[in-house]
Amino acid sequence: MHLLLTLVQDMILAAIPAVGFALVFNVPPRALVYCAAGGAIGHGVRMLLLAAGVPIEWGTLFAASLVSFLGVYYAQKLRAHPKVFTVAAMIPMIPGVPLFTTLLAIVEIQRSGYTPELFSTALSSGLKAAFIVGALAIGLAMPGLIYYRRRPIV
Amino acid sequence: MTPTQPNVPQDRVPAGSEAGLEAADQQEVTRLCVESAVMLMQHGAESTLVESVARRLGEALGVERIEVAIMANAITLTSLHEGRCITTVRRIQDHGINMHVVTEVQRAMLCVEEGSLDRAGYRKHLSEIHPYRYPRWLVVLGIGLSCACFARLAGADLASCGVVFVASSVAMAVRQQVSAMHFNPFIAFFASAFVATSIAGWGAILRIGATPRPAMAASVLLLVPGFPLINAVSDMVKGYINTGLSRGMMAILLSLATCGGILLAMTAWKVWGWL
Repeated sequence: MHLLLTLVQDMILAAIPAVGFALVFNVPPRALVYCAAGGAIGHGVRMLLLAAGVPIEWGTLFAASLVSFLGVYYAQKLRAHPKVFTVAAMIPMIPGVPLFTTLLAIVEIQRSGYTPELFSTALSSGLKAAFIVGALAIGLAMPGLIYYRRRPIV
Repeated sequence: MTPTQPNVPQDRVPAGSEAGLEAADQQEVTRLCVESAVMLMQHGAESTLVESVARRLGEALGVERIEVAIMANAITLTSLHEGRCITTVRRIQDHGINMHVVTEVQRAMLCVEEGSLDRAGYRKHLSEIHPYRYPRWLVVLGIGLSCACFARLAGADLASCGVVFVASSVAMAVRQQVSAMHFNPFIAFFASAFVATSIAGWGAILRIGATPRPAMAASVLLLVPGFPLINAVSDMVKGYINTGLSRGMMAILLSLATCGGILLAMTAWKVWGWL
């Protein structure tokens, strides 16, 4: 019961940023609801996988692939490329904090000198950010890599 | 040109146009293709989509083959028809991500493929696409709420989320204003990060909310270049290494500009919320 409540809260909190950033990307109004659904499903599935002990990169890859396969179906109904709304749905999973932590740690090494702690912060959060972004992009590309190999999705 | 066209089977000639393509017609098709490709590229479509739309459009308009070379800030496109080549280059200027334009261009291309739109109709349709933009206040509100949700997901309390809402909304308004004044995007990101961290930092100084650290982190998340980062990796996965690298580098440099703004604000107000 507690897990279900956390899941619902997590999905709502992920759907709002997906729509918020869809506004920045000027996603057509009709597709906004798909952004919200994709953001909620992706982040919710990843949260469940993380709770089950799956590493974050693999959880992200699975969640992104799932959203992308669902996106293909709605893209064909909408007559638009799935990336039009699936990228906005990935925004809640983008590792923004690790990305900025890496760069700030690097700048800090330059400002106040090398320490092993700063270096390890830079390296570990940088790798985390890179792997999660990679998992998101490859997950989104999954329908094209697996199923629509030599033909267009829309 | 000659009335006989041994290379073109009759069924390849699209309905609504007279049989075969004169050089002038081919030139127009080439222009339509490159203009569609440029529109897609300028508004943030990935390279695979740009290439496939240009190629499918050209073939639907009756050209035998279209070849596209995409670079980070230019597109070269060649059409081949009956042994004749026409090549043209267009410069790409970034117009910001706009999925509405991408959708419209692709739908028009699909109409041409289905035969419900001919060349003249496509040209008219293309010239009538005006980038749709959401009203600025709505975007500001949406981004403020989004960053507040990020803060909540990171475990901030409600008061801190309120601080984040204000900080990100104001930062987004600053970013829009600086961009509208045609400043370089790096300056827009730097200024916006400074404003966001200043407001979140003052929230921490005035002890609004018990969780200042996630608040300071979340308040700048509107500046994460998520779309370029994802496009960069998917371009590279699909074999467009050079556009992928330049998109990725652009994203990293924008993030560095953001870090500059964060650091300046943290130094100026003597609040340390990161690392």
